[in-house]
Amino acid sequence: MSSAAFEAYLVRLYVDEEARDRFLRDPRSAATAAGLSAAECAALERIDREGLVLAAASFARKRGARPPRRWWRRRWRRD
Amino acid sequence: MLDRIGIGWRPELAAGILSHLDRIDVVEVIADDYFRCSRRGLAALRTLGAQVPVVLHGVGMGLASCAPADERRLAGMARVVDAVAPEIWSEHLAFVRGGGLEIGHLAAPPRDPATLAGTAANVERARRVVGMAPLLENVATLVDPPASTYDEGEWIGAFLGATSCDLLLDLHNLHANAVNFGWEASSLLRRLPPHRIAAIHLAGGRRLAGGRVLDDHLHDPPAEVYALLAEVAARATRPLTVILERDGHYPPMAELLSQLDRARAAVTGGRAQQAAAR
Repeated sequence: MSSAAFEAYLVRLYVDEEARDRFLRDPRSAATAAGLSAAECAALERIDREGLVLAAASFARKRGARPPRRWWRRRWRRD
Repeated sequence: MLDRIGIGWRPELAAGILSHLDRIDVVEVIADDYFRCSRRGLAALRTLGAQVPVVLHGVGMGLASCAPADERRLAGMARVVDAVAPEIWSEHLAFVRGGGLEIGHLAAPPRDPATLAGTAANVERARRVVGMAPLLENVATLVDPPASTYDEGEWIGAFLGATSCDLLLDLHNLHANAVNFGWEASSLLRRLPPHRIAAIHLAGGRRLAGGRVLDDHLHDPPAEVYALLAEVAARATRPLTVILERDGHYPPMAELLSQLDRARAAVTGGRAQQAAAR
């Protein structure tokens, strides 16, 4: 049943806090509004909610932990 | 059986690794760091490869996806593989992006036939572009992938059946998922075809509030992981490349070397068990 669209919505749930909050308040409405099929919406209604929140937090920490681009590389690119 | 025990190459560990090559059989390099590096950077990698065998590990392709893998990343991997000529390169059974957004890490995809078909297509594309098929690594997950119709053992078996890839078996990921979702890691291990296990990752993590295990690569591998390693070595029918992964909170090099020794002992013990059983 998975599809590129389903994956894209999962990515949004993992990285977009507002989208995740909307989804957790009303999964079926949020998934339907995102254009997913009835079967995809039903699958998301059964999602592991605790895991979703934990995973999103973990992914956010990973994104936040990226080192800033080294200043000397920025200068090199400009020269 | 020429099993090899090695460690992930990290800048913070470089001096320690180069000072102790007599105790390190192989080094695993994160290939993505070199996709767009200069010729000098690739030359440095070749110099490393002249001192110790180097294997390459990709982290950003997102092969386990219904969406096509990013051609630029495939080309980047091809460039590094061409420069280094490793025995193996590997990636993950994970997706990492979608809808124009990047997750920033590895996510377990829905384990179903559609994802399997997408994975097989991406792996074939990768094999053509890079010139050799990757090993694929099982990933840890804090969330049970929604819309899944395979359990984890069926999923790994399905990808092995659908592709020419062999398995990079991450034992901490196996352990973490077993804890997180209530099954037994050893049971899944016994379901895996021994001749398809080519490499092993060892790592550590921590318990989150609520009891789930996060595979953070910031802690030492727990005893359960070494026990699983001995079990793999008792069953695997080909030489194993075993890599210790550490991404931060680095202990002294002597401690990391003792972890490699412990891995070596686990593999030796497993092989002895296999020999005795024949």
